[in-house]
Amino acid sequence: MGGTLKIPQQWRPWTMVAAAGCLFAGIALAPLLWPFFGLLDTAGPAAASGIEASQWALLLRSLGLSLAVVIGALLLGIPAGLLLARGDIIGRQALWAIQVLPLFLPPFLLALGWFYLFGRRGVLGNDLSANLLFGPVGHIAVLSLIFSPVVVVSISLSLWRLPSSLEMAARTVASTRRVLLGILLPAVGPAIGLGALVVFVLAFSELGVPMFFGVDVYPAVVFSMLGGVDYDPARASMLALPLFPLIVFLALLERRLGKGWVFASQTTPLAECAPLHLGAWRTGLSLLLWLWVLASLLPIAGLLSKALAGGASGQGVQAWLGDSLANSMTGAAVAATIIVVIGTLVGYGVARRIPGARLFEGVGLLAFVAPTALLAVGLIALWNRPLTQWVYAGPGIIILGYVARYGIIGVRSLAMAVSQSPVSLEQAAASSGAGFFRSFFCIVLPLQARVMAASWLLAFVFCLRDLESAVLYYPPGREPLTVRIFTLEANGPEPLIASLALIQVMLTACIWVALFWLFQQSHRRRY
Amino acid sequence: MKIPTRFSAFAVAAIGIALAAAITIFFTSGDANRSQVVVYTSVDQIFSEPVFRRFEAQTGIEVKALFDTEETKSTGVLNRLIAEAAHPQADVFWSGDPVRPFLLMDRDLVTPYRSAQAAAIPSSFKAGDGRWTGFAARARVLLVNTERLGARPAPDSVLDLADPQWRGEAAMANPLFGTTTMHTAAWFSIWGEQKAKAFLNALKDNQVRIASSNGEVKRLVASGEITFGLTDTDDAFVALQSGAPVSVVYPDQGEGDMGALVMPTVVVKIRGGPNSETAVQLIDFLLSAEVETMMADSAAHIPLRDGLSAPEFVRSGSDLKAMPLDYADVAEQMAAIQPWLRQWAGL
Repeated sequence: MGGTLKIPQQWRPWTMVAAAGCLFAGIALAPLLWPFFGLLDTAGPAAASGIEASQWALLLRSLGLSLAVVIGALLLGIPAGLLLARGDIIGRQALWAIQVLPLFLPPFLLALGWFYLFGRRGVLGNDLSANLLFGPVGHIAVLSLIFSPVVVVSISLSLWRLPSSLEMAARTVASTRRVLLGILLPAVGPAIGLGALVVFVLAFSELGVPMFFGVDVYPAVVFSMLGGVDYDPARASMLALPLFPLIVFLALLERRLGKGWVFASQTTPLAECAPLHLGAWRTGLSLLLWLWVLASLLPIAGLLSKALAGGASGQGVQAWLGDSLANSMTGAAVAATIIVVIGTLVGYGVARRIPGARLFEGVGLLAFVAPTALLAVGLIALWNRPLTQWVYAGPGIIILGYVARYGIIGVRSLAMAVSQSPVSLEQAAASSGAGFFRSFFCIVLPLQARVMAASWLLAFVFCLRDLESAVLYYPPGREPLTVRIFTLEANGPEPLIASLALIQVMLTACIWVALFWLFQQSHRRRY
Repeated sequence: MKIPTRFSAFAVAAIGIALAAAITIFFTSGDANRSQVVVYTSVDQIFSEPVFRRFEAQTGIEVKALFDTEETKSTGVLNRLIAEAAHPQADVFWSGDPVRPFLLMDRDLVTPYRSAQAAAIPSSFKAGDGRWTGFAARARVLLVNTERLGARPAPDSVLDLADPQWRGEAAMANPLFGTTTMHTAAWFSIWGEQKAKAFLNALKDNQVRIASSNGEVKRLVASGEITFGLTDTDDAFVALQSGAPVSVVYPDQGEGDMGALVMPTVVVKIRGGPNSETAVQLIDFLLSAEVETMMADSAAHIPLRDGLSAPEFVRSGSDLKAMPLDYADVAEQMAAIQPWLRQWAGL
């Protein structure tokens, strides 16, 4: 009595991870589960109607479309990833940096850019291009192009960590082509699988692009239950049920694939070695890659041409911009900070196999993949109460939504980084008498400082690009820029919309430059 | 053990950013002493925000607005109001159509307010008990691309959407969202279930493109993707202003035709909203002749008062044959047809 609460040394890691994990679960899982209580209340009508045959068919169609996007992204991403990571491509670093940019922009903006280019009266458009754009072909092509950098990044990270001895040995007996296709390609199989998985998740949960191109997808069914006249969260929950086994399957698959690529190399990694000489193919392949990257940037050019052609005045743009840029930045900054804090603690637990940590990681994956409309309904029901108005009526609700949806970014990136740092340092500290918290704050955190900073920037960018979740629960007068672009898009002058979209692009590009710089610094330091 | 300097710098930077953001949020969360009013609106932001800015300039009251997206027009905000019913955040709902407020009234989320400014509004566009008041109306029109049309006679009825001569050349918005939901419900109200369902099925057979929104229909017509589409007057006005090769047809204006759908925007006061006094001030302002004129000039809305000016292509109420509708009945139809509409739309 009266003494301070002292947690036994062996329980301290678990206590720390559990505290952060429970906080994360409270933010991310509670709103997702909340609509299911409504399902229990109204089990009669909602459950009785079940999921109709046409909706099952649409679910299959959506899975098929997402698989097609995966194939498209792999077709583009595998050769690009191999060549950019290991080939002596002209302007390799610049290409690698630029190709990722579209991934960080709201896909809806890029779809708008493609429309300005390839619509019937677009700069490069005709009847055929317009017909292709407004249908499954356009949907698959645009999303494949947007998400192919995921595959490139996944392959690159995996290749750079491969022990150089593998490639060096191969180089002595085989041609560059055989080294690339026969040695390196099979070695990055798990990374390709992981990239494909992420692309699948992103493609399946995408709503803005298919709605823009008039393609019916399953998430639109769930959305229609929450955005249509017959507002029915319980039925929306029922329709979301088939997604849960899918999420569990994807999580297990990701774990299996992750085993194949998260390893710490004890020998010199490939990132340190000179790239492969492509010989006579170098110029041609460089040209092809530059064309691919420029093609992925074409919609931004479309937005630029629309902004310049319309002559939107600076004052007009500034007036319509309002506080949205500040709203975006502050909300994303606070959310990214929370994501990194939670991600560091839970990620550490995942990496060091602390019991329960994987469960919290699963919560993050679930919140990332689940239909955003479901999350939105739960957040409103959970936080719109007299006692929590300070959260709900202000930017707090946006921040909570971001943390729930993008928390997995912090958890995964820190888990990966910690798992690659030797546990022996912590063991040495423990044997010399340092307690867990001392070892965590003085060894683990300093070692992961750059990863934490990179993770902060990555989470910040994902929060900045968010549209589909914030639009459903943003507080009045507090809309982020992406939401403002989306709401102004209804009858707003196209040059104004394009100008606001370009501000979003420039902001994202600046942050990506910082992120890329950090990434390079981290590599130089490591290797 | 000493923390490396590099880490200290990162830690300080991260903490600094977090603190700066938190402080910014704390101090920019609004002036507690300044009066405010919270309004949810499904009227396009590009048209409604200037109205709110003028109100702010005239009264000093801060307007906190929540706007709808084009894709969920009228319904996203409506559902937000329903979701927040236990603890209303909004004081005023300014609806882009006259039907959706009935869904709020059915849930007892609206409180009556009779504004003195509404005296000049015709009685058919307001409730006797003050629960809703209409003003600044839109009509549903056919927007036609004159280049794609060529020498052919322009369509002049919504029935032309199902006419085989326009197969694959027409578009309308998804009837699950926006004013198209009301228009569809109006067909059910006027024609009865059987004829309305047959018409909608005929639209499918005629390969009418289902766009995500009315704005998208406008974009498809203006860019020549299709020959004509069913949309709202404000969308048509924007297309005309942009210089696109389009013309506007008010449908079904002939002898014996059913007329065009006219949709006043409607303002209601939310029951239990946090700022009752300023809500009344905003409603009075919205119902003023000044705002009807603003909406006519900027968004081609039809003034419901007599004697107000409007852009050239905007027909006055007396010059336009309107569908004879009971908005309450249309609201009932709208709720009743949702399951069938969802099947029709493939969702």
